[in-house]
Amino acid sequence: MLAFVFPALLFYSVFMLAPAIGGIWYSLTDWNGLNPSYKLVGFANYIEALTDDPIYLKSVFFTLKYVMFMVVLQNAFALLLAVLVESRRRSKVWFRTIFMMPNMMSMIIGGFMWMFIFTKVLPYIANHTILHFLDRSWIGDPGYSFYAILIVALWGGVGYLMIIYIAALQGVPQNLKEAAAIDGANKIQTFWRVTLPMILPAVTIGIFVTLNSSFKVFDVVYALTGGGPGRATQVIALNILEEAFYRNNRYGYASAKAMILFVIVCLITLVQLRLMKIREVEV
Amino acid sequence: MKKVLSLTFGLLIIVFMLTVITGFDRKTQAPARQAELKVFMSFPRFRDQFERYFNQFKAKEKAEKNIDVTIKLEMPNPDQAGQILRARLASNDAPDLFTLHAIADIPTFYKAGYLTDLSNQPFVGALFGNVKEIVTYDGKVVALPLESLAWGYLYNKKIFSDLGLTPPQTLDEMKAVVNKLKAKKITPFELSFQESWIPQLMMALSLGGIVTSEHPDFVDKMNKGKGSYKEVESVFNIIDLIMQNGTDKPFEVGSAAGSADFANGKAAMWVQGPWMAESILKVNPGMKIGVAPLPVSNDPEAAMINLAVSTSLAVSPTSKNKEVAFDLLNYILDKKVSSALFQELKFNPVASVHKYKSYPWVDEAMAYVSKGKAYKDLSLPQAVTDETAKMLQSYYAKQATKDDIIKALDKAWADSIKASSN
Amino acid sequence: MSSESTNAIGANPRGRVGSGLIFLALVVVAAFTLLPIAMSLLNSLKTDGEILNNILSIPAHFEFSNYINTFRKIKFMRSLWNTVVVATVGLTGIILFGSMAGYKLSRTRGKLSEFLFGLFVMSMLIPFHSIMITLTKIARDLNIQGHIIGLGLIYIGLGVPMAIFLYHGFVKSIPRELEEAAVIDGCGEFKLFFTIIFPLLLPVTATIAILNTLWMWNDFLLPLLMLTDSDQYTLLLSTNMLFGEYGNNDWSAILAALVMAMLPAMALYLLLQKYITKGIAEGAIKG
Repeated sequence: MLAFVFPALLFYSVFMLAPAIGGIWYSLTDWNGLNPSYKLVGFANYIEALTDDPIYLKSVFFTLKYVMFMVVLQNAFALLLAVLVESRRRSKVWFRTIFMMPNMMSMIIGGFMWMFIFTKVLPYIANHTILHFLDRSWIGDPGYSFYAILIVALWGGVGYLMIIYIAALQGVPQNLKEAAAIDGANKIQTFWRVTLPMILPAVTIGIFVTLNSSFKVFDVVYALTGGGPGRATQVIALNILEEAFYRNNRYGYASAKAMILFVIVCLITLVQLRLMKIREVEV
Repeated sequence: MKKVLSLTFGLLIIVFMLTVITGFDRKTQAPARQAELKVFMSFPRFRDQFERYFNQFKAKEKAEKNIDVTIKLEMPNPDQAGQILRARLASNDAPDLFTLHAIADIPTFYKAGYLTDLSNQPFVGALFGNVKEIVTYDGKVVALPLESLAWGYLYNKKIFSDLGLTPPQTLDEMKAVVNKLKAKKITPFELSFQESWIPQLMMALSLGGIVTSEHPDFVDKMNKGKGSYKEVESVFNIIDLIMQNGTDKPFEVGSAAGSADFANGKAAMWVQGPWMAESILKVNPGMKIGVAPLPVSNDPEAAMINLAVSTSLAVSPTSKNKEVAFDLLNYILDKKVSSALFQELKFNPVASVHKYKSYPWVDEAMAYVSKGKAYKDLSLPQAVTDETAKMLQSYYAKQATKDDIIKALDKAWADSIKASSN
Repeated sequence: MSSESTNAIGANPRGRVGSGLIFLALVVVAAFTLLPIAMSLLNSLKTDGEILNNILSIPAHFEFSNYINTFRKIKFMRSLWNTVVVATVGLTGIILFGSMAGYKLSRTRGKLSEFLFGLFVMSMLIPFHSIMITLTKIARDLNIQGHIIGLGLIYIGLGVPMAIFLYHGFVKSIPRELEEAAVIDGCGEFKLFFTIIFPLLLPVTATIAILNTLWMWNDFLLPLLMLTDSDQYTLLLSTNMLFGEYGNNDWSAILAALVMAMLPAMALYLLLQKYITKGIAEGAIKG
């Protein structure tokens, strides 16, 4: 058996397990990434991150805010689009193809494209039409840049979830809907009473996919604002990078921050697995 | 379909094996009479120029000493370069030659034993005195200067002469200039804050001026953990003036867009170094660029030019081919060919071998220097410079107050003392 | 399935208006989706001056020099090659090692097998950001930082758990009789796997190949941390470097770069759309 498993295990251990365990170890030290020597500092890094680092906490709360918006909006839009696209007959393939397109490219590319829209196209439209309200500093004003990030993230992410929801919608037995229609239910009632309960598993998946991916958000923010102006749009991933590779190269401290993120994501995933288990038992 | 796919996978496996094998093969090959140099430079935009120059060097070394030199040139992004280099040095994987920031890096690198004493190398004799001083530490020359800078802020000479203005030397004079420009509907300052190092330049100049003229012991005190930015709070006077009288939407303007705006006369002044000259002139070749010291208080003597050698080239003491490394180093300041290289890169002359005519804005800055209106760039911890950059962005976006900045910079400085002491 | 509902809509006039409105809404969303892509395409063919003055119009004449210049500046062929090498090394390893391990773990009973499978699955809990710092150190110690093949090897380690998980589930659906017959014929374990089992895994292999290719092709952070030399840059890193140089200024060059960087993935998508959509749906539901 081991001959088959060994290669996978080797790569996995070196590039995944070792860094994870190493990260836990370093998070308990004051290692600065360069010095060969470092000493154990216990939980001091964790305490500092949670009590004495307003920048980190701000990035955590900013990320949380982003996650909440994304979970609600991304799933709502994806489900709505899925339902609307599925209701088309001939054009549905076209719409699906188009809505999936942004998902095929890196959010770095998408982010730069939107940068062009926000900083060049919208001001141009504002100057040449009556839509003057479009002329804002979408990227530079912290009041708007959060929404700019959100728009781009939704643009890039909705298509992916839509595919999941379409697959789920196609799994809803037709005779159930017909039965509801015969009972006199209109389309909207049928959706709420029949379709939605049937695709609830997909909704669970959709919510947790969004939770997981939006906690790790990096590319969109990097491309659009770089976390700026200042640190107004800094997310957790950027904060960890900044701590480790800029400033004072506090690897140990940055590792502690990374472990806190790990715990958050871990908890979410465990809740997800638990919910799925419960549901499987019910079904 | 199945066949095609399994065939594809078969092919992929073969490609995989081949790439791995050739990858390793390349590493192990080592013909006789060969010397390999690893050169690490933070100049990706000058890659072509340096590659060409190094090829000339290879030919020369082959002809004169019959050594086959291979040069492995690594040019990371300036944002990452410092981090990568430190990691290499710490893990005993030092490149034979590497670039570093003369003022920020030399003291720490020297103490860590990462620099070779170059005092006896032929190139040293040709260096200009003020440049040589900056790459000298502990009485030894430890790096070869590449970029030598004498900088303040840039101004548009045409706008200034049209309005009969001369570069102001005090804060009040600067306010008068700002008002006159505004009366003529000219925006006084170009603001390009998308890249955080640019707003940071305002602090570099104002702190340099205030510290040198009023608080000469500031850096020492900070390093001993006894000072605070509170003492130099007046650095914000000029920063506020600039921020209140600048162009719109600065967070959408980076260095390149800023150069274009400034070249097109969108603003009369820009707190930027003459290192932007190349990109400004690319947009407007006829542009007359002026360089002047930034007024920071009402003491005209406090408006000073910043003297700095930013990027310099050093040799690792662990180099296995030191002789060849020294040859390459000296070749950078070679009597015959160095001039052409430095001129092509639009670097300032650093040694007597450089015969090209310096640019007018360099002469203008040097005129202030000769009057004593200049100071040597302050040596701040890198973390403090980074923090300043971020905080000034936040300050403009009204996400941070002066007190927040003072607190954050004091903390960053204290942290970096703590970090370097263990 | 939905044909019934559209028929119903078509049957009464109120439904037809509703259907029209739905269609209109979809068209608006589609326009929004395509806006950045279309704007990039259009303006990548203009001069900077034309972008400034006529951002919305069709280019007056096609300025292909943008592409020629940018092609050189981002070393397109080189970056493309680097990206292909990274994805090839990663994908080969993930599929080869993942199928071997997934198959064997699925077929073997016992504590050790369960433990190993659990070990692999556990990793799906670990976010990349939590390991990236230590990972850069390990890569440095192993001397594979700054090399595209090294980057590919790291992707194997990061991608193999999900592949094992998917193979593990799929193998259960393959009857054991085939293998038993082959063993009786005196077929060795490896030969058995590669000649009989591996071809049977094709559907799930396709899913894994699609998901991992998309991931590696579009991943930015790991290459950013691992590749230091601009000669080794992937397409995304080269584009990012160009953007860093021209940041929000020379848009004709940047947009040309964006279009070029987007092109390979887009072409693949339009070509293999059916498989990609299916792969994504399956991957999400099972993963």
